[in-house]
Amino acid sequence: MSVSLSASGAITLEGACSSEDAEVLLQHLLGAPASMVDWRACESAHTAVIQVLLAARPGLLGPPLNPQLAQWVQPLLAPQSASNEAT
Amino acid sequence: MNDFLQQFLIESRELVEQASYGLLKLEHTPTDAPELDAVFRAFHTLKGGAGIVEFAAMERAVHAAEDVLTEARAGKRVLTPAAIGACLACLDQVAQWLGVLEQRGELPSAEAVGEAEKIVHRFEIARGGTRAEVSDTHEAAKPDWVTAALDRSGRSGEASTAVRFVPEPECFFQGEDPIARMISLPQLLALAVEPVQAWPLLASLDPLTCNLALMALTAASVGHVRAHMQGASGECETVALAPEVAVTAGSELPPRVREVLEAQRALIANGKPETLAGRLASAGLTATNVLRFSGRLDQADAVAGATRTSLAQQVFQPLRDAINQALAAHTPLPLAAEETVRAATAAPRTLRVDAQRIDTLVRLTGELTVAKNSLHHLSKLARTDGNTLAGALKDCHGVFEHLVGELRRSVLAMRVLPLRSVIQRFPRVLREMSASLGKPARLQTEGEDTEADKAIVEMLFEPLLHVVRNALDHGVETPAERSARGKPPVATIRIRAARQGDQVHIDVCDDGGGIDVERVRRIARDRGVASDEELRSMPETGLINLVFAAGFSTAEKVTEFSGRGVGLDAVRAAVERVGGRVSIESRAGEGTTVKFSVPFSAMMTRVLTVEAGGQMYGVPLESVIETVSVPTAALARVGAAEAIVLKGRTIPVLDLASLLGARPQPKEAAEATIVVVAFAGQNGGLRVDRLGESLEVMLRPCEGLLLGTPGITGTTLMGDGRVLLVLDIAEMLQ
Repeated sequence: MSVSLSASGAITLEGACSSEDAEVLLQHLLGAPASMVDWRACESAHTAVIQVLLAARPGLLGPPLNPQLAQWVQPLLAPQSASNEAT
Repeated sequence: MNDFLQQFLIESRELVEQASYGLLKLEHTPTDAPELDAVFRAFHTLKGGAGIVEFAAMERAVHAAEDVLTEARAGKRVLTPAAIGACLACLDQVAQWLGVLEQRGELPSAEAVGEAEKIVHRFEIARGGTRAEVSDTHEAAKPDWVTAALDRSGRSGEASTAVRFVPEPECFFQGEDPIARMISLPQLLALAVEPVQAWPLLASLDPLTCNLALMALTAASVGHVRAHMQGASGECETVALAPEVAVTAGSELPPRVREVLEAQRALIANGKPETLAGRLASAGLTATNVLRFSGRLDQADAVAGATRTSLAQQVFQPLRDAINQALAAHTPLPLAAEETVRAATAAPRTLRVDAQRIDTLVRLTGELTVAKNSLHHLSKLARTDGNTLAGALKDCHGVFEHLVGELRRSVLAMRVLPLRSVIQRFPRVLREMSASLGKPARLQTEGEDTEADKAIVEMLFEPLLHVVRNALDHGVETPAERSARGKPPVATIRIRAARQGDQVHIDVCDDGGGIDVERVRRIARDRGVASDEELRSMPETGLINLVFAAGFSTAEKVTEFSGRGVGLDAVRAAVERVGGRVSIESRAGEGTTVKFSVPFSAMMTRVLTVEAGGQMYGVPLESVIETVSVPTAALARVGAAEAIVLKGRTIPVLDLASLLGARPQPKEAAEATIVVVAFAGQNGGLRVDRLGESLEVMLRPCEGLLLGTPGITGTTLMGDGRVLLVLDIAEMLQ
C-alpha cells in the first residue's frame, strides 16, 4: 500500500504512487480534511495523485525522496503557489 | 585551383549529398527533429564555406534555404513538399556551380547572381501559405500563458522553447502521466501547472479525470521538445522563444575554422619578403571571413584592423598576433549550441586520401603479386634442376603468398564503399520521375550497407538508373490501370542489395505489369534480334532476356526518361565490362525484377589458363562451367560449327584458335579438350589444345595497342613474365 494513515493521523505516501492511489488518497483527505500528507518516502507520484494534492492543498511533510519531484513538483504544491478557491 | 577552393569543392559536394539525402527523408517525416537538424547543419556549413571562399551568390541561395529550415526547426512552419522541392533545387544549383568551379578552377561569377536570384524567388513562392497548423505563434507575440505562468520563474531568459500541454481528461486511462512527461523534458528550466476548470469541491473531484494544463520552459530546441512530446495524448503547443544560435558559435573554435586560421598564420610567417604584401592581404582577408562566418564578429574586426596595420608597416607580427588571439579566445557558450558542438567533436576520425594514391597502392600490390608468382616459377625451375634450394624457395614462396594476400586484401578494403552512396541517390530520382510521369511510386531500399569496390559501386549508378527508369516508365501502370487491377495506386520499387561470397547482388523489383512476352517475341522478330526459329524454341525466360539484346527497345512512345535508343543492352554492356551479369525475371501482371550480380572487387579474377594455337589465354573461371575431354569422333558437324551432346543437351563447339584468328591446330588428335562456358544464359564449348592451371590474377584493363580489341577483357602478367590475355567470353561468342 503506497497510501496509508499513520498512527499520528498523517497520510503517508510511500514508494511508487500509481494513479489508483489517487482515489485512496482522496478518500483519506475527505475523511480527515485537516490531515498532513507525509510524502518524504515517495519515490514517484502519478499525475492523478499530484492532482488530488493540488485540489486539496493539504499541509505537506517533505521533501519527497525523488529529487525531480522535490525540484519541480513540490514548489507547485506550496501554499503560496496558486490561488485555490476549493479549500 | 588553390587548396581552399579544392577543399571547398570536396566538402561542399559531401554536404550537398548529405543534405539531399536528409531532405528526401524529411519528405516522409517532415517533423523528424534530428533529421531536420542534420539537414540544417549541412546547409549552414555550406553557407559558411561559401562565405569563406567569398562566393556571394551561393551564400545567398543557400541562405534562403536555411531560412526555411530554421522556421521549420522552430516549429513555425511545416516543411511542405514545395519547400523541400525548393531546397533540392537549391542543392542542384550548388552542384552545378561546383561543377563549373571544378572545370574552370575558379568560382562562377556573373551568371551565378541571376541563378541565385531564381532560387531565392523559388523559396519566396514556396513560402506563400505554408503556415504550420501545429503552432501559429510568433516570437514577437508571446502567448499570454508564457508571460503569465512562466516569466515569474525568472529563467525565461535562458529558455529556447516554451511548451503548453493540456492532456485529455481521459488520458490517465491511456497510460499518460503528464507531470512525469513534463519533468523529464530535456533541459527543463521551469514548470507550472494550473487547473483547466476551477477545482470543484473535494467531495465531487474525480481523481481519474485530468483537469490540468501544464506549462514548461526548456533550453532545448523546439525540435527536441516536439520529439519528447510525441505521442502525448492531449493538446500540445510549442513556441520558440529565442532565435536559434548560430551553429558554429561554440566556446571553442570549430576545428575547421581553427585549421583555416592556423594555415593563415603559417602563410604569413613563411615565404619570401617580396611576396609579404600579397600574403598578408590574402591571409588577412581569409581569416577575417572565416571568423565572421563562424559568428565571431569582434575578432573578425580585430583581424581586419591588424591586417591594415600589418600592410601599412609591412610586417607580419600584428596580423599574426590578432590571429593568435582569435585562436586563443573563448566566447561564452549559449546553451542550445552545446549539443551541436559536441556533435562536431564526435565526428568520426577519417582520413581523406586522394583516390589516385590508393590506386597506385593497388597497382603496386598487383606488381607484388606478380613478383610472388615469379618466385613460384623459380622454385619450380630449381626443382627440375635438382637444386637443393628448391625446398627453401618453396617455403619462402609460401610465406610470401600469405603476406601478399593479406596486403592485397587490406589495400582493396581501402577502396571499399557501401552501396549507400549509389542507392541514396534514387529516392530523388524516383521523386522527379514519378512527378513527371504522373505515376506515384515509393522506393524501398534494403542492404545499403552492402559494400563493394569503389569502381564497382560507382559504375552501378548508370545501369541502376536505367533500370529504375524503365521500371517506372514501362513497368508500372498508371494509377487508374492499377486500381482497375486491384493494386494499390502507389507503385513500389524496391532496390535490394546483398553480398554473397565474392559477388554482390542487386535486385530492382517493381510491382508493375510485368513484361509482355508476346510483344517481346514480336519486336525481336521485327527488329531482327533473333530468327523465327530461335524465337519458337526459346523458353520464356530466354525470351524475356532478349530485352538486353542490342537494338531492342520496347517503348512505343519515347519519353523524357527512357526509350532514347540506348536500351537495356547498354546496361548489360556496362555490367559485363566489370565482370558482372544482369538478368530479368517477370511475372505478367505482378511485376518485373532485374537482377544484377557484380564482383565484390573489380581487381582480382580467377582464370583458367588454356593453350590454343600455341598461345596461352586466360578464361575467367566465373564463366567456365566444366571442362571435358571427348573423342574427336563425338564432335558432330552442324553447319559451319561443330557440336557435342553433353548430358543430353547439344552444345555448339567453337575452335578457340580459329576464333581468335590464330593458326588452327592439326586435327589428328584422338581426344578433343573442350571448355564449356556460359554466356547470356546459354552454354557453348571452346575447343582448346591444352588446359593449364587455375590462377588468381590481378586483371589490368587493356591499354595501348590492345585497347578496344574485341574478345579481350584484360591482361595479366604470368609468373614467367609472359603476358596472359584474358578472354571476354560473352563478347567473343556473340
